[in-house]
Parts: sequence; structure tokens; C-alpha cells
Amino acid sequence: MKSAKDNVELISIPMVVDVPYRFAAGKYMTRFLTELRDNGKFYGIRCPLCNRVQLPPRIVCAVCHVKNSDWIELGNEGTLVGFTIMYLPLTDPTTGKPHEPPFAYGSVRLDGSDSVIDHFLNVEPVVEHIRIGMRMKVALKEREDRVGDLGDILHFDPVT
Amino acid sequence: MNPEHDYGTFESDQRIVAHSRYFAGLMGSYFFVRLRDEQKIVGARCEKCNKVFWPPRSTCGRCFSVLSLENLTEIGPLGTLETFTIVKYREPVHPRKAPFVYGIIKLDGADTSMVHFVDGVDFQKLAPGMRLRPVFANKRNGNILDIDHFEPLDSY
Amino acid sequence: MRKNVAIIGGGQTHHAARRHDVNQVELVNEAVRAALADAQMTIDEIDSVLFGNMEFFEGCHMTDCWLVDGSGAYGKPGLKITTGGTVGATIVGAGVHHVASGLFNKALCVGFEKQEEGDTGAILSGVAHPLFGRSLAGAAVGYFAMMATSYMAAWGAKEEHSAMVAVKARQNARKNEYAHLKLDISIQDALNSRMLSYPIRMLDMCPASNGACAMILADEKTARDRCAKPVWIRAMDTAHNEQFELDWRDVTTKKPIFSRVSASRLYRKLGVDDPSKYFDVFEIYEPATWAEMVWYEDLALCRPGDGFKLVENNMTAIDGPIPVNPSGGVLSTNCIGASAMLRIWEAALQIRGDAGGHQVVSKDIRRALATAYGGTNWTVLTALSGTMDD
Repeated sequence: MKSAKDNVELISIPMVVDVPYRFAAGKYMTRFLTELRDNGKFYGIRCPLCNRVQLPPRIVCAVCHVKNSDWIELGNEGTLVGFTIMYLPLTDPTTGKPHEPPFAYGSVRLDGSDSVIDHFLNVEPVVEHIRIGMRMKVALKEREDRVGDLGDILHFDPVT
Repeated sequence: MNPEHDYGTFESDQRIVAHSRYFAGLMGSYFFVRLRDEQKIVGARCEKCNKVFWPPRSTCGRCFSVLSLENLTEIGPLGTLETFTIVKYREPVHPRKAPFVYGIIKLDGADTSMVHFVDGVDFQKLAPGMRLRPVFANKRNGNILDIDHFEPLDSY
Repeated sequence: MRKNVAIIGGGQTHHAARRHDVNQVELVNEAVRAALADAQMTIDEIDSVLFGNMEFFEGCHMTDCWLVDGSGAYGKPGLKITTGGTVGATIVGAGVHHVASGLFNKALCVGFEKQEEGDTGAILSGVAHPLFGRSLAGAAVGYFAMMATSYMAAWGAKEEHSAMVAVKARQNARKNEYAHLKLDISIQDALNSRMLSYPIRMLDMCPASNGACAMILADEKTARDRCAKPVWIRAMDTAHNEQFELDWRDVTTKKPIFSRVSASRLYRKLGVDDPSKYFDVFEIYEPATWAEMVWYEDLALCRPGDGFKLVENNMTAIDGPIPVNPSGGVLSTNCIGASAMLRIWEAALQIRGDAGGHQVVSKDIRRALATAYGGTNWTVLTALSGTMDD
């Protein structure tokens, strides 16, 4: 039996929230991003107590609760610690443009750093071609295209 | 790297755009359908509290009674201005160009009020207690702007 | 804790992908009414309402205000809490603190999500750092996928093991009348499902659900006076990871990972020696199959690297020696703001013997452990018991 409930057309209303914001990088991230953009260099910061080189640089070592102090220039090569092959057309929320799937995506520990960076891998998106532990090298955008964002890295290339 | 180098400040302008779809529920749907199709406004009466709520809802927030379609009752269309503001500044989020009036309007037969535009009014004569009538939109889509605005009952 | 706290009632909605028939208020109200009925209590008896969901997942801010009629919080003291995926358990944590402090005797905890209404991808990208990750937001699936490749490389697990977890969850869900994905699937079905992000396939991930959960916490006197089967909160613990450090997905890491840190603290509080024997059932927060196997290891149910063998040997099946997620878990139902509370509520139902079709019957259930996962970067653990002796 149909009740009165079944006869009500169910209403839904679409909405869009568009929030612009200005994000301040702060002293440590500013230095890191400026060096990346202007000189194509990666800097980590070392904790004076535990000696971990942290990337991106930050004011406090979360483990030791002390002020990080020593800026360390890192190499542009590192080791792959994890990866995936993405089959979803994920959209870059800052540009609205999708990354065309499938693509390889991974986590690389730059030499001299205790932290990892996630980024695209410039390898054929086939599992057999990717191996945890493989050596990777940063490929940066040209100087004029760099804006001071992790997107200034094009991808990681395998070291042959 | 020169440690004395002044890196200045680094700021980035970004935005987040999020799409959503709000579901009105049974009581809310009934309200919007009646508004769109019949230009009628309904509220929900809680018999226990003897209160009529707008917008209609499924639970009386005061006594927690269950309210259903049987509790729906027509309210308005005329109402009384309880309080108001004249918006004089411009903001991208504003639905209208300033200056315009937001009123809090209690419809006849309701115990709660709604916010809506009050148009066609001399700002000098705006006052609580002013009687208002809704002006319905010509093209109605089943949302609160199916009431385009309220206007004074008497001509000013 | 200063005062003992018990769960004296609870309830949940029938979780589903589509709930066009209710708005958010009405969805929440279904769970609240179920919890009040279960506790044989009226809303007037509730002293405080703790409420939460995943921030902005419905496109609405300040849900505690908008949903006040449904939650029953009108005119009552309370808090809105939002801690991402853990929120359901954090709400319970706040409720426990409210009651344990002696300030309130009966606290109503409410968590919900109406996922179909919002823009999950956009809001989740907002969780990433604006300059160090937002432009590369890989979504939750990408994070878990990298953890999975690390797990496979380090311990030799295969995609089949992930499929076993996927099947266990959905077959358990079929026994749970409230679960969302009640799928009669086989290992082959899981292995054949669409690849999302290698090695994670569609059936390796949780769904997007609409649903709510509510629970009533009470002090010892109220619990003994009013409830035939109180379930006692014996300990809770929460821990966070370090910001920016993404290498917790390297399963061999020696870093103090939130889940391990929190588990060892909780076990210390309770004097737990072997958690696989101390607890009779586990309800863990596993948004992806691989996360469940990593949880086994982080909770020390087995040695590091042996998690997949537990699944392989049916150890964590509903009739196994270490039952994990007899409810079907997050893999079967993920209404985020309710998910972590559902873990606690399902664990409590097991202890009460009221879980219905998915009740563990192969052993006596006295003690249970529930976990929560927030952005894969923090957790809330809750230890429950049917007696105060534990």
C-alpha cells in the first residue's frame, strides 16, 4: 500500500562553495620553496638532538621538541620507498586539471634526508618496471616555470 | 646558501571549490513542492508544545516529539517584520547589490521566523511590526528563492 | 579514570549509499532515537550531547547547530567535535571525559555522515598541505596503495591476501542487518574488480555511506541502576604522527607510528601481555584491506610481517580465534563521522551478546578493542569490557 509519504517528490538542492584563500608559507617553508624555485636546490633541516634531516624544513623537531637549526643541502637523487600506479583521473585541486591515468606515483627518500617526498614517477606504469629500492633522480621544471611549490618538480626519473 | 639572505615572505593564492547537494528530507521536500507548485507556505505544528515551526521539521526540538506529514499546516502568506538590517557594503558573496534589506519575518500562524529580502520599501519607513507579503518568483525551482522577496502590504 | 564510565545504550541507522528520503537532521535523529530506546531513556534525562562529523563533508559548517533538533541537544550543554576519520571515537572520548570528571552523569554521543551530499575529493584535498602536497593530492586510495606496495615488497604478501580481507569483510557484512555493502563475493571477484591504484582494487576499498551512530555513556551508579548489560570503558588512548612525515607507509619503519605508540600505551594501562588473547574480539578501522593487515601487526596480534598469515589461516574470521570486524567493518560501511563510533558500538554489542546475525558465538566475548583511523595519521583506541574486574 502506498502511503502519503511515497507521493512526495524528494527535493535536493545543488550548491557550490568556492573559497579563495592566501596561504603564508612561514619562515622555514619560505626559505625551502625560494631555494627550490630560484636555484633548483633542496634543503632539509637537521635536528640538533636526534640529527634527523627533515623535509620540508620546519621550526620544531616533533620528536625532540627542540628548535631545528642546521640547513642541509640535499642531493637530487634518492631511493624509492613506496609506489602505486594510479588508474583514477585525479584532479589537481589547485589547477582543476586531471592527471591522465594510468600513471606511476611514488615516495622517494632524497639522499641525506630522513623524510620522503611523494611525486610522479617518469616510468612506464607497469608494475614490473617499478621496484622499491630503485634509484630515482629529481627532474625540475625550467626556472621560468617554477613558482615555489612541490609542483616545481616535474617527476622523478629512474637513474640508469 | 647565504645564511644572511633575506628570503622575505612567501604567500600563495589558492582556492577550494566544493560541490554539494543538500537533501531536504520528507518534510522539507513537501514544503518546497507546495511552494513551487502552489505558491503556498507550510510549517509543522507540534501539538504538545502548541507551536508551529518554519521550516517544517520531523522532530520538535523542544519536546522531541516526532512530527510527520499530518503535522504540516499552511502558514502566512502575510507576515510581520520582526527586525531588519540595511546592507550597505558590497561583497562577492552577497546575493544582491547593496543597498538591500534583510528582514526577519514571522509569517502569520508560525512561531518561528524566516530571513528574506524586503524590497520595494522606503528605508526611512522600515520598522518592526511592518506588515509584509511574499512576492513569488515567476520561474520557481523548488528552493527558498521561489519567494523572490517580501514587500510592504501597504504601499509606501 | 576518576569515575567509571559505561555504555548503557546505543543505536545506528541502516547504512546506505542513497538516503534521499531524509535530510541530515532526520538521519541523525534515527540513530539518536534508536539509542534512547535501547537505553530506555528519554531525551530529557540526557545531561550533555557530544556531536560530530567529518568537517564540511556535507557542504555544511556548524552541523551541531543545524542538526540540534535531530541530535536532541536543544538547550543542553555539549560540544561539537571534528577530528577527521577518528571523530566518532573522539566524540566518545569527550563523552567519557565528561562523565569520568563527575560533571555529567549521562552523555549522549552522536556521529554521522551523509556522504552523498558533499564533495569528498575537494574537501579531502583541503587536508593536504597547501604548498607541500595539495597540488599532488593522491586521495586516500593513493596513500593506502603505497603502504600496500611496501607491505608486499617487505613481507611477501600477495594480492590474494588483500582479496581474502575484502571477502571476509563483505561476507561478515551480510550477517549484519545495518551494513551497507552486503556482498556475496569470492576471492576471484575481489581480484577481478577494477584496479583503482595498484595494488588496490575497487573491492579493496571502503564505500561512501550515509549513516549515523549514537551511544549513551553513564556513570557507574546510573549504569548499574538503569542498564542490565552495561559495557565498561576500561581505557582509551590517542596518538598522532609527525606532520609531513609520510614514511609510515614504509611498513618496515622503526619510527614511533601512531598506532603502535597508542597500542603499547593502552596495553600498559591495562597490563595486557598478549592482546590476541586478552581481547576476545576486535573492531578496527580499516578503510582499505591492506590497512587491516597492518593493524594486526601494529596492535601486536602477530609479529611484524605476519599479518597476512592471520588472514591466510582464517585466524581473524568471525569464528576464528581472533575475530576481527565481525560487523563487516569500514570496508563494508563508511559513514565517516560515525565509522569510528560504530567500531566501539559494535564491540559493545559483541560484549552484550546483542550483535544478532554477526554475533561471535565460537567463544565468550568479555573484552573488546576498537580502533579509529584519522587521515592515516592518528588514532583513538578504546578498550571495553563486560565487567569492572578487567
